[in-house]
Amino acid sequence: MALNRKQAYLKMIQKGFIAMLPLNLAVLPWGILCGSLAIQRGFSVLEAILMPVLIFAGAVQLVVIELINDNVPLATILFTAFIISSRHFLYGLALRDKLKNLPFRWRGSLGFLLTDELFALSGESKSLQGKLKLVYALSAGGSFYLCWLLWNIIGITAGSYLPDLTNLGLDFAIAVTFIALVVPTITNLAVLITVIVAGFFSVILKLANWELGLVISSLIAMFCGYITAHKQTKLTIKRNRTL
Amino acid sequence: MTLLTIVLLACITFFSRYLFLHPKLPLRMGAKMTHFLSFSAPAVLTAIWVPIIFIKDNSFNSDLTNPYLIAATVAIITSYKSQNIYLTLGTSIPTFVVLQLLFKS
Repeated sequence: MALNRKQAYLKMIQKGFIAMLPLNLAVLPWGILCGSLAIQRGFSVLEAILMPVLIFAGAVQLVVIELINDNVPLATILFTAFIISSRHFLYGLALRDKLKNLPFRWRGSLGFLLTDELFALSGESKSLQGKLKLVYALSAGGSFYLCWLLWNIIGITAGSYLPDLTNLGLDFAIAVTFIALVVPTITNLAVLITVIVAGFFSVILKLANWELGLVISSLIAMFCGYITAHKQTKLTIKRNRTL
Repeated sequence: MTLLTIVLLACITFFSRYLFLHPKLPLRMGAKMTHFLSFSAPAVLTAIWVPIIFIKDNSFNSDLTNPYLIAATVAIITSYKSQNIYLTLGTSIPTFVVLQLLFKS
């Protein structure tokens, strides 16, 4: 039995790794960009490595490298990072009921690893339920952490030999990864409405330079999706009654 | 000084990810809230990727020769037809790279 249990865990580690693998590969250009930019903007190797090790957030890293380099006041830097990170509050809320009663070693580790990518993989209703699913998530999130670190280190090592990568369009890899994660989940009208509304408002609010545009457009979209689902259920109930 | 900044930034990202997982937080979620939050993944991820496609240097770019737009269209079609991440990345990224090279020269 003990061996079987161990085998089951190993299987889950493997499954988590395989599920995250395309995303691990997709952030390679982005990770190299973050690492090399830090070196090109005058950060020491230690500082450049500590960013993926401790902060572990591509969008925050990229923005604060430029802000620190421009000698922006500390409060502004922290505030900006807070705004960029604020979408994670939604992820924590969405997973709260599944994780809040677990021991800190699970909450803390999965919380630390809770990137956009891990959250996207934790979407199904049965995710994170039971120890095997937790091991799966830990393996997916952990492998993403290690790859992110590795890609950053490649960027840091190659940093001074590479040209400035910021305007090469490496952000397309991020966009296309998220497209590949979102499109298969559009299985009903409510999600379709959510996606259209999120796309519309995110562009409008970004053009208007609203700092919290990402979170606000997400909330509006979630609300529209929720209302759509609600209306549909009501309609079905009505139809069933009249039939 | 930079090291301190990095540590503080790490606290912020961890705080934002961990806060609502904390059991002592006085917050109960009902069925409605849970249902509402079930739309968070498509909403947030879309709100990240759509501006990458359409906004260049703070202005709207719906130019039909915008490599982002063409390659994203390829990605959406591939993803819809195949539901396969590798295939989606494998068709759209090369499309994007070729278009970037074509339009730059």
